[in-house]
Amino acid sequence: MVLAITGTELVQSLVIGTVNGAVYALIALSLVLIYRSSGIFNFAQAEFGTVAVYGAWFSFTHWGLPYVVAALFGVVCGIAAALLTERFVIRPLSQGPKVTLLVATAGIALLSIGVAFWRTGDNALNFFDPLTQWEGARVAGVQVSGQRLLTLLLLLAAVAALTTFFRSPYGLAVLAASQDADASALVGLDVNRISMLVWGIAGTLGAFAGILLQGGNSFTPGAITSLALIPGFTAAVIGGLTSLPGAVLGGMVIGMLESFGRLSTFDSIPGASSVSVFVVLLLVLLVRPEGLLGGRMAT
Amino acid sequence: MTAVDPTLQLDVVEVPAAEAEAEAQAAPPSDGRPSPLGWAARALAWAFLAWLVLLYPANIASPFEVPAFDANRMSEAVIFAIIGLSLNVLIGYAGQVSLGHQAFVGIGAFTSAYVVTDLTQEVVLGVLVASLVGAVQSLLLGLVSLRLTGLYFALVTLVYGVMAQQSIFAIESFTGGTAGKIAPRPTGFESDYRYYYFALIGLVAVLVVDWRMLRTKGGRAILALRENPRVAQTWGIDTKAYTLFAFAVAGLFAGLGGGLLAHRDLQVVANPFDFNLALVFVLMTTVGGLRNRTGVVLGSLFFAFLRNGFLVEKLRLEEGFGPIPGPLDVIDLSPEFAPLVFGPVLLLVVLTRLPGGFGQLARPFQEWLAGRRFRWIPAEQEVTINDVRA
Repeated sequence: MVLAITGTELVQSLVIGTVNGAVYALIALSLVLIYRSSGIFNFAQAEFGTVAVYGAWFSFTHWGLPYVVAALFGVVCGIAAALLTERFVIRPLSQGPKVTLLVATAGIALLSIGVAFWRTGDNALNFFDPLTQWEGARVAGVQVSGQRLLTLLLLLAAVAALTTFFRSPYGLAVLAASQDADASALVGLDVNRISMLVWGIAGTLGAFAGILLQGGNSFTPGAITSLALIPGFTAAVIGGLTSLPGAVLGGMVIGMLESFGRLSTFDSIPGASSVSVFVVLLLVLLVRPEGLLGGRMAT
Repeated sequence: MTAVDPTLQLDVVEVPAAEAEAEAQAAPPSDGRPSPLGWAARALAWAFLAWLVLLYPANIASPFEVPAFDANRMSEAVIFAIIGLSLNVLIGYAGQVSLGHQAFVGIGAFTSAYVVTDLTQEVVLGVLVASLVGAVQSLLLGLVSLRLTGLYFALVTLVYGVMAQQSIFAIESFTGGTAGKIAPRPTGFESDYRYYYFALIGLVAVLVVDWRMLRTKGGRAILALRENPRVAQTWGIDTKAYTLFAFAVAGLFAGLGGGLLAHRDLQVVANPFDFNLALVFVLMTTVGGLRNRTGVVLGSLFFAFLRNGFLVEKLRLEEGFGPIPGPLDVIDLSPEFAPLVFGPVLLLVVLTRLPGGFGQLARPFQEWLAGRRFRWIPAEQEVTINDVRA
């Protein structure tokens, strides 16, 4: 195998990697948020985004709502999905083993996919207009659409907001509740409300990510789960599962790895992208199991 | 027991026979032994079950005519039960999840096909090699994911599954590309009816291994560490080693299931082994009822039959009976997506309301069949004990 990588190809895949990485980072951020506060791997996270996309698309095309209202309605749907999940699945099971919770969130994801298939049929390719008609910018010969630039902006805003949040009294309450729910309740924190708050935030993030990701693309049921959930999880693990900057870094790493795997040099290796992601995940777990930026979480 | 009080003996003898019988009829005898009629009913039920499992699928001593197509579906369901038992070892016993089980099963299928077709070996050998490959894979992934406490095995297997799908399944010499790999049936089990028995032998083997395993030191250690790893550790249980042992056993079963699936299909293609399948495996095991062999088998059969259309056809869920429309038709649900909608709903109901799953529903019947009384046995509520930090 000859390693022949041209400079422009490399730079282009760097740009593509960053743009895709932003999406993974957004999913990873919400996964870290949930993991930090409840210690759960939330497999339904990406579905909150899909629910939002379907809500927006449906209200736009079937009810004829104006675009912005439809998009906001979609976000509300995503948040509602997250809150319902918390209230009817997570809370009743919160005393049970973690493995049950994991299976339950995977069940929610599957239910959402199933309902979408049921209501729209198999080959239901739907299309939701992009949020912005802005052409975006040309970076190193790669056209980055305005939608993607907005996604990057949302990512930055989300990191800033979440970092501030975890320093605020509410954020501290979330951390306290995750360390010891009983003790937090004893000192007067409403643990249930804190849990609702966290899931609400995760739902909001997921919903925005979903609409930004799918607007301007055609989508099928389970779109965001198949597109971004697994890279998002890998990103969160590589970043350290408890660290917000780690999630962003992890997302970028995964985005880059995937776009490098698609370089023409690796054409002879089937699935080079996913192999490289898998290998990096193994390496991180072997060499630095707590993740790139993850510290030891206090117990 | 040499000196029996004579008065006591007299007392017993003096009870009139008629009165004793009336008493026995009013309330069952205290030792819970069924009456002769009860025994007869149980024997009949056992005979029916044996007929259903052993004779009915092959049209032996049966008034029904099962087409070969349906026999093939039954073989699939039996193989799903093997896969369900494999996941039960992970989720039920070890308290870990695999979300890449489709890859274990798929690689098992291709391995067996490769050994039989390319290396021209016996099918039995191919299936055994597939099981071993499954165990080794699972062990290696387990070694990596156990560097941290928590459910990292789920994430590692998840990424592994995607990797296998896009990379391993695309290696042409191993999988035969899009055309797939030929996987002939073993001699003596060529027909669809005969192959059902081949799969059944596999299931029985897995059931026996699973049952005996739990009776060993290792099996008890796994159960103990699932409930509380820290407490298990204080009892001198090497939690890591035993979790790895559970991973290996699960991989072994999954590889076996994959091998059997390959030779059932006669030709293995990579397409069906996708992430959705992994989720279905997790669903059927959990809905069946963790740590309950009968339940897991029932759950797996249910989901297999729901997926391959057998249930929809036999219960006429779509066309209904005459004037009564089929329930699937009423809610406008295509049978193809029925498992995707019913599966998760059942899962959430089982998780939040019926912790024992199908297994718990089957429990009274099992009790009755075993010669005890038919009664509801509540499942033990599973609560994680907050870590003992002493």
